[in-house]
Amino acid sequence: MSNRSDIAVEVVDLGKKYGAVNALNAVSFSIESGQYYALLGPSGGGKTTLLRLIGGFIQPTAGQVFLHGQDVSHLPPNKRPTSMVFQSYALFPHMNVARNVAYGLKLRKVPRNEINDKVDWMLSMVGLEGYNARMPHELSGGQQQRVQLARSLVLDADILLLDEPLAALDAKLRKDMCLELKRIQEKVGITFIHVTHNQEEALTVADRIAIIADGDLIEQGSARDIYETPQKRFTAEFIGDNNLVDGIVAGASGERVTVDLDYAKVEVAAPGATAAAGDAVSFSVRSELLRVIDPAQADNGAWQAVPATYLETIYLGLTTSHLMRLPDGREIVARVMSDEPADTSLEAGQPVTVGWQTDRARLHVS
Amino acid sequence: MYDNFANPWTIRLKWAYLLTVVLALLSPVMYTVYISFNEHGFGARIYDFTFDWYRIVLGDKLLVASLEWTLYLAVTAVAITIPMALLSAKFYKRSRRKVAFVALMLSPLFVPADIMGSSLLVFFKNLAGAFTWLGETLGVGWFEGWFDLGFLTAMIGQIIYTHPYAFIVILITMSRYRGQQTEAARACGATAWQAFWQVEFPQIRVGVLSSCAFVTILSFNEAVRTGLLKGGFDTFSNVLVAQMLNIGMSGESYAMAGIMSIVSVVVIGSILVITLLRSEHLSRKARAMAEPMMSS
Repeated sequence: MSNRSDIAVEVVDLGKKYGAVNALNAVSFSIESGQYYALLGPSGGGKTTLLRLIGGFIQPTAGQVFLHGQDVSHLPPNKRPTSMVFQSYALFPHMNVARNVAYGLKLRKVPRNEINDKVDWMLSMVGLEGYNARMPHELSGGQQQRVQLARSLVLDADILLLDEPLAALDAKLRKDMCLELKRIQEKVGITFIHVTHNQEEALTVADRIAIIADGDLIEQGSARDIYETPQKRFTAEFIGDNNLVDGIVAGASGERVTVDLDYAKVEVAAPGATAAAGDAVSFSVRSELLRVIDPAQADNGAWQAVPATYLETIYLGLTTSHLMRLPDGREIVARVMSDEPADTSLEAGQPVTVGWQTDRARLHVS
Repeated sequence: MYDNFANPWTIRLKWAYLLTVVLALLSPVMYTVYISFNEHGFGARIYDFTFDWYRIVLGDKLLVASLEWTLYLAVTAVAITIPMALLSAKFYKRSRRKVAFVALMLSPLFVPADIMGSSLLVFFKNLAGAFTWLGETLGVGWFEGWFDLGFLTAMIGQIIYTHPYAFIVILITMSRYRGQQTEAARACGATAWQAFWQVEFPQIRVGVLSSCAFVTILSFNEAVRTGLLKGGFDTFSNVLVAQMLNIGMSGESYAMAGIMSIVSVVVIGSILVITLLRSEHLSRKARAMAEPMMSS
């Protein structure tokens, strides 16, 4: 385990089994103090299980949880320096807003005046000043979520766990609340661990993102790294709008490998990747980096190109997608801003060349 | 909910049917209460309203003593059955085999009262014998009379009888409760008990109080099991049944039946009214919460 004081959360080989089902497989990672950390992944992947293990709501089958260096693996939630915001609001319906927010402070026997001051301050922090006497059912979904946030933050816990906190909100409110959460986290400066299956939400709020799927920690990194340079094929499939192409390594030189696609050979940047000739690999290129190009553009090595057949144009408002098919039958998408000048001569069935800047594709060996 | 195409007469017919059934079920009880206020008793051609029969009942030391015993039995049954039913309902929510759990909990309901009573009677007789033998073998008098028929055995019979009802009533209320609120309380620093008492209990209080009332009424109404297991004391129902069997229905009997009917109807009616009001309140809350959550 780490003894560094700036580590808020460290999990070591943490696992959870439900009968024969492995919900979490020996996951290890650490989170620095004051970081906004997102656990992102598909539903049923184990991210909520991981969060609940950190919060002490379930006991691990294997491994340990350290909070600020202290092993809390077998402590109940009320003995841990964590607080939690739930997806389904979980406000106490028989208590008004002020009593909900004050609940934890009363348990700690904080003097009444201090409780009132803290509750007022926290409600103003979440933009709900004057709502003290309202009952939970008199609030909108977003307001209820803010009350939950206030109830958790008022406890001055070092670590706040958020389990899909925005999942029940409409799209506009979700976007607003994302920014609000980020603002509040920066203001209070504590560690936030936010579970979500929504990549846009994770990219908006998180300093670092961990991709969790099938009970495994697939990959973690900064939001930009995860989006722009995914190391694992799964991450590339899950985050962003990536085109994935399979091939065989034909050769490697320096930080690049040549991938044989049968119908073309392309060079792919592979910093740090170990791929030998004959290895089956894949690479990804985000749809916004693909373009229909002139074949001559790829002659100098700065661009890679493959032949394709044009299928159709799909207008999506802000962007327009151009759908094409590679010779092996795989469909790929090139996405451009709708207000960019477009080549209107493209027709369904027309042969085209699709290209991308060489250093923008990412090689995946797993 | 009815659609716009439903024939209004179908709805009226359904209500008429429902009211007829309820009246048919309640009319003998209402008639008994009616007779209990007649100075001349059952079968008289004239009806003179009086409270005399009730005065006689409440002035009879044997009857008042039986009322006291019934009350002790009811209070003890409530004190023991309700926590047990509450625990059972909580275990049920955690149980993975819910159907088997419910079947087990409700099984005492499917055993006829006389069979249950006589089985317990035999069981307690044997148990008392076993305890006596144990005491004699060990040479101590401490085990003597533990399961001789009396208040303890009658109370055990009462608990076995009332537990399924209390369990069901509490479970229905508890089904509305979301476990995440307990987790939220724990996350705020509450112990398991504090989370239960401060967050969960206020939300299931109506069910628990209804169960208390229900168990009390069942204790007053029960005659067969108690009759077999009570030993040397009499409950109100036992006295009433004995009177009816031995001397037939007197004005006193009608008044006793009237007391039990009125108390039962008032208590159960109150529970129904409170439950309906609460249900309406909760559904209004649910409707409010179900409205689309718009940006604020």
